[in-house]
Amino acid sequence: MKRLFFLSILIVFVLVSIRFTSPEKAIPVKENLKDVFLPVQIGLASLGRQVYEWVSAPVLFYRTARHSRELEQEVAELESRITQLTEVKLENERLSRLLGYSQSAAGQYEFITASVVGRDLGSWFGTVTLNKGTNSGIKKDMAVLTPDGLVGRIMFVSDYTSEVLLITDPRSGVSTLIQESRTPGIVEGIAGDSGLVRMIHLPSDALVDEGQTVVTSGLGSIFPKSIPVGRVIAIRRESAGLFKSAELRPFADLNRLEEVLVIKRVLP
Amino acid sequence: MHSLILLLLAVIALILQTTVVNFIAVNGVKPDLVMFFIIIFGFLRNAGEGAFWGFSAGLLEDLFVGNYIGLNAISKLTAGYLAGLAGSKFYRENRLIAAVVTLLASIAGLVVYYLLLLYLNIFIPFFYAFLRVILPVSIYTACLVPLLYKRFAVFETRRGFYDL
Repeated sequence: MKRLFFLSILIVFVLVSIRFTSPEKAIPVKENLKDVFLPVQIGLASLGRQVYEWVSAPVLFYRTARHSRELEQEVAELESRITQLTEVKLENERLSRLLGYSQSAAGQYEFITASVVGRDLGSWFGTVTLNKGTNSGIKKDMAVLTPDGLVGRIMFVSDYTSEVLLITDPRSGVSTLIQESRTPGIVEGIAGDSGLVRMIHLPSDALVDEGQTVVTSGLGSIFPKSIPVGRVIAIRRESAGLFKSAELRPFADLNRLEEVLVIKRVLP
Repeated sequence: MHSLILLLLAVIALILQTTVVNFIAVNGVKPDLVMFFIIIFGFLRNAGEGAFWGFSAGLLEDLFVGNYIGLNAISKLTAGYLAGLAGSKFYRENRLIAAVVTLLASIAGLVVYYLLLLYLNIFIPFFYAFLRVILPVSIYTACLVPLLYKRFAVFETRRGFYDL
């Protein structure tokens, strides 16, 4: 009886503690601790990477040979497409100038490059630690990406490290639209390690198909417009019936992040 | 002294969990080393010690992460306690039983974690939570049993804390 009483007190105490230590009420001690652990984390991360590369080398070699043949063909195809697209781009520029229309084109950003030195312990949340912080000019809420696509945004910054909230984290929400049909929706994470995200609040009559590309919409002021997010792989009807949701696979390989780009500012 | 070694083991499990474990992830799924450690420990000892060490190791994990302090502590307390209960009822020398207990105790611990996330207003549809996290992580964690269980059991026996 006495033990049960003690246990219930403990659990109530812990439940209160969980609430009061949520990241919105971040504790300053944490940031300093992160800076102290940084060298250890960097060492272990590189050790882990080396072991992984060593173990996977034979498989990788076989795959690379096959992959390079496929890539050669793809390069030839893409080169011809680039020529076509350059034409379109030049035409677009001419027409824009005629209309006096100016828009900050996607891809014109000033970046800070950072390495991933640690990941969230568990499988639920999706956060990674970067080796750069306030001293390198990183601020809270800056957008993070790789050349493949969107990664997430900066959640905390200390002097020498920063923590990124990945788009696969259930706490993350990104305002997006489907590139082909311009249908808007919110992309939210499922669980850190699932490697999938969901696009929710799609009207049930929206034109959504598997294989479509989802990009950021630029609403909400955190993420700039037109950053690729992921590709639709499945569509589900929500139980309420008014909306449907789409499962996406992010373009950036969020489970194997090594180097990322933090957008410092969007160039005019 | 024994407690110190256990604490050290928990810290090592934690450090490996943040770094090296990510490289053995299969399709994003990685085993939970701390969960494995406290379940096996609880199974070899008893429910009370399982719960105590589950709580302590979980708390250490929470302090390491720095937010939601208590989330892992309660989740691992449950897993350690249940593993301890199972240990008093089943034959401890059988690795298969140890693996099944690890699977079930880990599922229970992660379900508690999921419920605590709901308490924190972090909503994940149960369908995704179960199929994408709870089940795969528990299966992967249970797969470590055939590899590591014997060693852990020998470590416990040699020190005379438990007669296997």
